[in-house]
Amino acid sequence: MPTAPGGRGRLAGGASDATLLVAAGVFAGVAGGDRALLLAGTLVAVGLGVVLRRFAGAGARPFAPVPILAGLGLAAVVSPLGLVPALAAGAAGLVFLLWLADDPHRPAGGVRRAGAGLLLPALAVAMSWVSALLLPPGSATVGVAAGLLVLAIGAVAFLLARPRGFDREEALTS
Amino acid sequence: MSEAETDAGPLEWRPLAFLLAASGAAFLLLGVAARNPTPLFLALPLLLAAPAAAFAGPRSAPSARVDARAEGHGADVLFRGSVALRSDGRAGDLIIECDRPPGLTESRPPREGRAGALVTFERAWKVREPTIVVVPPVRVRWRDPMGLVERAVEVEASPTIVERYPPEVTRIGAVRLRRTMLLPGESRSPRLGSAGEFHGIRPAVASDPPRRINWRASARAGEFLANEYEPDRTGDVLLFLDARPSSLGPALDERLLGISRAAAAGIASSFLREKARVGLAVFGEFLDVVPLGMGKAHVQRVRACLLGTRLAAVRAPSERGAIAAARYFRPGVTTLLLSPLADEPASDLVPLLRRRGYPVVVLSPSPIPIAAAQRTLSDEEEALVARLARLLRRERLAESWRYAPTIDWEEYWSLAGFVSFLRRPLSRRAN
Repeated sequence: MPTAPGGRGRLAGGASDATLLVAAGVFAGVAGGDRALLLAGTLVAVGLGVVLRRFAGAGARPFAPVPILAGLGLAAVVSPLGLVPALAAGAAGLVFLLWLADDPHRPAGGVRRAGAGLLLPALAVAMSWVSALLLPPGSATVGVAAGLLVLAIGAVAFLLARPRGFDREEALTS
Repeated sequence: MSEAETDAGPLEWRPLAFLLAASGAAFLLLGVAARNPTPLFLALPLLLAAPAAAFAGPRSAPSARVDARAEGHGADVLFRGSVALRSDGRAGDLIIECDRPPGLTESRPPREGRAGALVTFERAWKVREPTIVVVPPVRVRWRDPMGLVERAVEVEASPTIVERYPPEVTRIGAVRLRRTMLLPGESRSPRLGSAGEFHGIRPAVASDPPRRINWRASARAGEFLANEYEPDRTGDVLLFLDARPSSLGPALDERLLGISRAAAAGIASSFLREKARVGLAVFGEFLDVVPLGMGKAHVQRVRACLLGTRLAAVRAPSERGAIAAARYFRPGVTTLLLSPLADEPASDLVPLLRRRGYPVVVLSPSPIPIAAAQRTLSDEEEALVARLARLLRRERLAESWRYAPTIDWEEYWSLAGFVSFLRRPLSRRAN
């Protein structure tokens, strides 16, 4: 039965919204400790993004990720050193990508279709966290992670500048 | 390899990809500056999301076949069709973009359905007045589920034409027209059809109606035989479209020209269906002409010319149109002039065509209903303006009637008056 383009209605995608709120809440809780203000601020920012995507017009909808990124970024910056906040930050980042894939204004099944695309970030987070867990504590963790990320940023910048690098050459003969 | 082939469906980053990359880079810098690994862990998925989405998507431009058609009747237009992916891919990732032609309004939200590699789409539009427009082929894009990257899908589709004109126009083909052939009947049409002069007998086919069966011949032959007729040409008709700008202003002129174009398309189709020869003259700055002709190819020629007709930028003198018409069309061709007769120069065209021997009938789409819909004054002032406009129009039409029968076309979705006038015998039609 035909529906509106991407038409799942405003009630669809509630699970991903709730998951993102929970992940952001856990992350802010872990990062902020007893600072209730940080938890509230992160949740408000994430809630604002959720509301924007769900109810705003087509013009404002693309800005929905901005408050979410700001909220998560704030929590990450003030978080204490430790493996648990790092794991929560990585998980929040992954849940944010899942939330992006579960857009109620696009056809259902976005999370399932985005599975292959989410695999690489998930593996990278897992590897970083495991290496941080196994390596000696202290600034070595930061150094290894920063080295990995500098490499990642260099690769991303290179790829963003050359989108044709993803094109597969068509065979001249079949 | 041509440039078009090289640029077909390249990968494009969407703004969200840049936002994630910038956020990831910012968190990385903050993490290093604060000697805190937590922002780095948050940055990692953000930085990798866009390249991962690009790698997971199609590595070259997908291709699809689009079947689109315009349905509905009257003012309703239902533009629907399907997009079938030829290459590997999922319909859920396809974005269908339909451009609504000018003059059409959306009557209900667009609808889409997806199953496997097939997407069906439906757009419901309404036309304000009779129209003939081209709906451009739909554009299809593949976009990853996170909305980070996209590619244009190579689509095999052709534009769809939406034609809406008053229903009475379909009966106009039965009007008796004057012939302008040098020696009528000298060159006989090889076409055979269901009406006209008896031509011969052939074996009947299932689609033959009972009245075409030659019962006596069938009884003698022991099998069903049907009569075959050589269709009569009903005559010649010239559709003369006035596409010059007037004092009404470009917006109103454009809409009235759109109405005239639609009427011309309907009238031409109807006459051509009845095997009449139809010519088209569009008078903008100069005269664009489709010579008298008939047949299916001629329908396309007339339609293409009408679709390409635009309001002229310069108001050309009426003499130019009348003189140019005489170069292409023999005097005596029944001429249907479609003009709003909005001002003096437009009205001049009627006597000038008459003087060159064209029996003219004027169909004049009235600007009053469109102007009345654009209310800017108080009720009293609007009523006064409408009354003055009607008086002015009546005077102009009366002036035109001195030279040729002139039909005021105010109710755009009906041409009953015009058709019934044309269907009168020629002797009673003369002014």
